Amino acid sequence: MRAGRDERAHVRGAQRGSVSDLEALFRTHWPRAYRAAYLVTHDAAAAEDIAQESFLAAIRALDSFDRRRPFGPWLHRIVVNRAIDWSRARRLRSEVELVDSIPAANPAAPPGGDTLAALARLSPEHRAVVVMRYVLEFTPGEIAEALDLPRGTINSRLRRGLDALGCEL
Amino acid sequence: MRLELESIEIPGEHDSRERTWRVLESAFAERQPVPRASHWPRVGAIAVAVAALFAAALSPPGRAVLDEVREVVGVERAQPALFSLPTQGRLLVASNAGIWVVQEDGSKRLLGNYREASWSPFGRFVVAAKQNELATLEPDGDVRWTLSRPDVRSPRWSGTETDTRIAYVDRTGLRIVAGDGTDDRLLVPGFRGALAWKPGRPFTLAYASTSHVVVRDVDSGRVLWRAARHPASATIRAEWSASGKRLLVVSASSLVVYDARGSTPLNSGPGMEPIESAALASTGRAVAFVQAAKQLSSLWTIPRIRPDANAARRLFSGSGRFGQVAWAPDAEWLVLSWPAADQWVFVRADGKRIRAISNVSEQFRSRTFPRVEDWCCAP
Repeated sequence: MRAGRDERAHVRGAQRGSVSDLEALFRTHWPRAYRAAYLVTHDAAAAEDIAQESFLAAIRALDSFDRRRPFGPWLHRIVVNRAIDWSRARRLRSEVELVDSIPAANPAAPPGGDTLAALARLSPEHRAVVVMRYVLEFTPGEIAEALDLPRGTINSRLRRGLDALGCEL
Repeated sequence: MRLELESIEIPGEHDSRERTWRVLESAFAERQPVPRASHWPRVGAIAVAVAALFAAALSPPGRAVLDEVREVVGVERAQPALFSLPTQGRLLVASNAGIWVVQEDGSKRLLGNYREASWSPFGRFVVAAKQNELATLEPDGDVRWTLSRPDVRSPRWSGTETDTRIAYVDRTGLRIVAGDGTDDRLLVPGFRGALAWKPGRPFTLAYASTSHVVVRDVDSGRVLWRAARHPASATIRAEWSASGKRLLVVSASSLVVYDARGSTPLNSGPGMEPIESAALASTGRAVAFVQAAKQLSSLWTIPRIRPDANAARRLFSGSGRFGQVAWAPDAEWLVLSWPAADQWVFVRADGKRIRAISNVSEQFRSRTFPRVEDWCCAP
């Protein structure tokens, strides 16, 4: 409850031009926004772009933002939709990937590498639902609304995503 | 599951956060907060919200937001029309209907029934060619002067704010005329090939035939530099960097950059497919080129000019034959012609963004695919 009041105060402050309030909003919501974008796109540069552009869009729309609404879900919804669009576009033009002609050395497996690899084998749509549910803590109803999909579709994607991850892990 | 997902280590997370904060802080500093009224009537509030949406869509930042939304969908969901250019500048476009000037906001003006054109220095005027006429025009289409010559092509304009020259090719060879239409004369009899002015003064022209590249002071007639081309091949294009320190000469089989260190042949990527077109960024640091194969064409860049194959990066590929590529004046974006798709594809130089425009032929009233002649500076 207190967190919600603080957030509304930060939004109000940012609307009035307070940099410290904006920074408080940014520091609170960046980690999840960036993580969500990365887990959907599996591309750190794209995740940075997506999260950054989403925050910029939020700044541009700040004056018209309804302070009664929570800021985080609104921002995360933009992030996830952009990440899905980016992943779809990459899939559609899979041959147009930027090719680094100097191959990178094989890195050691990072923490969480198995989960990441398992997640990568899901479609972007399934990844997005899993990420929204377990990273951004949306309810299935909120996911359905954010992605403009029937709730049954969300439940089914969630189930199939978790099954696939369970098998992989 | 939550713990699993939160335990995943993301590379560069801290740096990424701090970079983004700097960007946001800067963007926020430029923002003008809007005073908020507390008790507006509902109808008034709705009207203001609608107005705000329109204002947001029409303002540059709003435009950018809308553009970003379009950009992420890629070529499969291209814009149905050219609503705006992705960066500053104006295009000259050649279609069956003639030469068009396209402004940054997407508005277009047909200059007349010419078949080739290029900008004057600083983008103040346009020099255009039709079958038997060379003409200079204002960007609004007003003709300043014309010169009747047989089979005119490749008009190029150079100079300073007070003194300019135009080079062009006709049936007699490579010719030079002053910017006011006087003193027309033959410089290189029988010339066929590509030409490019070195920016600024003195009036230095590079011209490349099948066998040679020559750099010449056109007022004195003195040849400043000359190199043989090995192997000899027809030149598609010659282009100087904005600084005049680098010259790119392109043929179907080679890309060669000349500078003070000599010539640098650039390896044009895997397979060595024929080069359809190429362009040098105004910075002189990067080259973009199109390779066309039977099934697949690719747009490549060499972000830092160096001769080895590893220098080339593929930015974009697609089915069918691509046409020409041109750099934006700021070297941040490229425009690629894709006639098979009837699309222009704007590609950011780092490959991170793509914006495609459909129905290009129809927009320029053309039976054949319109050609981007030149992307010049903002007015």
